[in-house]
Amino acid sequence: MIRFQGTANTLGLLFCGTMTASMSHEIKNALAIVNENAGLLADLVALAEKGRPLNPERLKALAADISRQVQRADSIVSRLNRFAHSAGQPITTTSTREIFEFTAALAARMAAMKGVTITVAEDNTVLMQARPFIVENLLWICLKHLFAVSTGNQTVQLGAENADSHVIIGLQFAASTPVEEIGKLVTQEGQPLIIALQADVSTDAQRSLIRLTLPKKFEE
Amino acid sequence: MSVKVLLIDDDQDFLAILSERLMIRDMDVTTVSSAVEAFSLVESRPYDAIILDLQMPEMDGLQALERFKAINPNLQVILLTGHATVAKGVQAMKLGAADVLEKPVDIRVLTEKIKKTQMQKNSGPGSEEKNNTVPSSAPGLSGSISRFIQGIQKRCKKS
Repeated sequence: MIRFQGTANTLGLLFCGTMTASMSHEIKNALAIVNENAGLLADLVALAEKGRPLNPERLKALAADISRQVQRADSIVSRLNRFAHSAGQPITTTSTREIFEFTAALAARMAAMKGVTITVAEDNTVLMQARPFIVENLLWICLKHLFAVSTGNQTVQLGAENADSHVIIGLQFAASTPVEEIGKLVTQEGQPLIIALQADVSTDAQRSLIRLTLPKKFEE
Repeated sequence: MSVKVLLIDDDQDFLAILSERLMIRDMDVTTVSSAVEAFSLVESRPYDAIILDLQMPEMDGLQALERFKAINPNLQVILLTGHATVAKGVQAMKLGAADVLEKPVDIRVLTEKIKKTQMQKNSGPGSEEKNNTVPSSAPGLSGSISRFIQGIQKRCKKS
């Protein structure tokens, strides 16, 4: 168990590294636009000093653009902050919807790079006890393997349903997705997380579905 | 004659603002939001410099760089990245990038690099700079790669 805990922590570290790299990239992109806007303001002032009149509407548009980029960066930093805090979060009662929406937000940029859209199924909130970080990490491993085989224009839907004392999380892929192959890779790579969550991974090739079955009430 | 620049980035806001700033500097700028859109353009129109984002959907900057070089080995491609790693920078330079710059970029530096690429493009065939290859006699890395790595090392020290 100690060995698996160690490996789960290593996977968690990799998860943190991947997500922080992605979010810092997003922040840099927003900063790059703020930087160009500030530069353009300086350019316009320099032109005004040479006699070209300043257009107030253009200035208003630049101010609005800067404000929009600051909001964009702020939302990324809030997500990063929540993610950083979640790593140390203890076992808690949480809704699957909350976990799905946060995982989808974390992975959105990397999904977009691979032409994948992540959606969350409507009306499927199930309460469960778990360390959200570990569930998110396992979901990320599923998504990562999907991204690796994606040829673009793919959608994956995250959903959950009650099953007595368990909750079944489903990742619904497009029809041609090699779910059995992805399932095997997830089981191999995510084994320490699967053990830590007392979970089970299964696939349904006909429905292009990967199922993660987890206990609703987690006992360490 | 103004410098012809092809600017490729999937972020429309970035494209709009950077192209405006380059146009203020008397450059003739064309913008596209994906490398795939750019391939047909470079086949039909001459550009002095291509400014390419390293990370984009559909096809990333390094794959696109390889394709541009296959279309025309003399195309001068400057990569912009918000995600600088030494490995990617070295790979880009080995694939023939004229330079690798990190976002947010200093417009003076970018303008200087664009003008340099125009000079390289116009220099005679067989010139070492035009080919953008790492000289075999170089003691290690080319100047551009060294500067790129030095920049990263400097920032690591600061943090």
